[in-house]
Amino acid sequence: MNTSTAPAVELTDLVKTFKRGTVRAVNGVDLTIRRGEIVAFLGPNGAGKTTTIDMALGLTTPTSGTATVFGDNPRKAAASGRLSAVLQTGGLLHDVTVQEIVNVTANFHSLPRARVAQVMEAADLTELARRKVGKCSGGEQQRVKFAMAILSDPDVLVLDEPTAGMDVNARRRFWDVMRAEADAGRTILFATHYLEEAEQFARRTVVMSHGEVVADAPTQELRASLGGRVLHASLPAGAPDQAWAALQSLPGVVEPFRDGNRVSVRSTDSDATALTLLTTLACTDLEIVAPTLETAFAALTQD
Amino acid sequence: MTFSPTFFRVELVRQARNPFTLIFTLFMPVVMYLIFGATPEYSDIMAGRGNVAFTVMTSMAAFGTATAMTSLTSLAASEFTRGWGRQLALTPLTVAGYALTKVLVALSYAAFSVLVVFLVGAATGAKPTEGWVWLAAAGLILLGGCMFGLFGLGMGMIFSSEGASGLASIMITFFSFFGNVFMPLSGVMLSIAKFTPMYGYNALARWPQLEGAIDATAPDPLWAILLNVVAWTVVFAGLVALGARRVRARQ
Repeated sequence: MNTSTAPAVELTDLVKTFKRGTVRAVNGVDLTIRRGEIVAFLGPNGAGKTTTIDMALGLTTPTSGTATVFGDNPRKAAASGRLSAVLQTGGLLHDVTVQEIVNVTANFHSLPRARVAQVMEAADLTELARRKVGKCSGGEQQRVKFAMAILSDPDVLVLDEPTAGMDVNARRRFWDVMRAEADAGRTILFATHYLEEAEQFARRTVVMSHGEVVADAPTQELRASLGGRVLHASLPAGAPDQAWAALQSLPGVVEPFRDGNRVSVRSTDSDATALTLLTTLACTDLEIVAPTLETAFAALTQD
Repeated sequence: MTFSPTFFRVELVRQARNPFTLIFTLFMPVVMYLIFGATPEYSDIMAGRGNVAFTVMTSMAAFGTATAMTSLTSLAASEFTRGWGRQLALTPLTVAGYALTKVLVALSYAAFSVLVVFLVGAATGAKPTEGWVWLAAAGLILLGGCMFGLFGLGMGMIFSSEGASGLASIMITFFSFFGNVFMPLSGVMLSIAKFTPMYGYNALARWPQLEGAIDATAPDPLWAILLNVVAWTVVFAGLVALGARRVRARQ
């Protein structure tokens, strides 16, 4: 294959079984990621995302099928620094400092000190340089891994649930930094639990369930098909029962649920439902929650 | 890439921060030597090409080396199988390069341990009749110590948990008791001891001085000592092969 025109990542009929074939973690995945694409990889726990990513990175040998990066063995791409990854939680040395672990990784890639300083800055680690990795919070450790991943200026960056264990602020900061990486023209594939992250960051979303790709579409299309948001509100103190009855008959509203004065509904048009709730029905304390991946994909990924 | 100077340096500094490494590889051998070798009245009795203090010192240096090799290589293996190896697989560093670095770090600690024990020995009356015995003993200790590098590696791969290294180090202490290292054994205990891994290694380290002589019994011939060392090296290599298979099965 001509490596100069080959896709960034190409997975062909990828299969991985464990325990002598009794567990099929990945069951025939085909996926082509073109250069410069940003792709979100969604799916519940145990869907086979990490195993698929491991094969794309050359960390795990497929039972059958092939995984290539720029038309070649992923290991080669990783050794040359063209392919890099932020792996899931764990996998760092805990009793070295942030500066040390970044220095070591830079030395593996034979990079100059100036690059180390640049990356420490970009990953917002300069102030943590002398802290032990084990003393860093989960979010800070992810940033350390992120720094290690971008040191070699990779063309393809794979992130396996990079924001797991981060609080909301840390997560936002992380994606701000990532945006700069994406703007630099990298090809990015990231696995996540958070639908919001896919929405805000990836044009294309691939959904896995039970080891298979069950959806592969532009993120916006997929989002629309997911069945809307959940609205929570408090019924008006004056006439709660009338409001409750009216709420259940609104168009596009499903799964009404009431607990005392507090109600929740799922709506395909959350804006319209919210408007009605606040005006006509005089409800208060409105909350609108986008479906979490676990719940939203329950329908899509059920057998 | 097979060798990264930065990685070697960071690993060297890093292990020095681990209190267990220092206690087992430096503190324990020195203290054991001081108790069993430097102070008792028998220290100055001559045996072969040196005094008893020199014999005890050699054994404690061998113990320190075996512990350093075992604990550092088992840590290296278990750490590699628990995620750090995946991280390293994304860099140009090869598995061979990783192993080489870790073995060099372990050997550095072993050499440091031997140096410290020998310095304390020299300062407290351990002496051979000929100067070359110092070098020969140190050389044999470090060379033979490599077999425990295999032992640690195998243990670390088979039991990839954090406790693997502790277990392996404790086994070395146990083998040392039953391997004629800490105190002279006799009778049935000695007969059994001859089949344990620290026995051959310890006897080999003492060879330049004692040439196989042990208390009140017939001396061990060199072939018996070498057979012990070679046999256990083969067993430990088997352990490594078994561990490697386990690691691969887990992937």
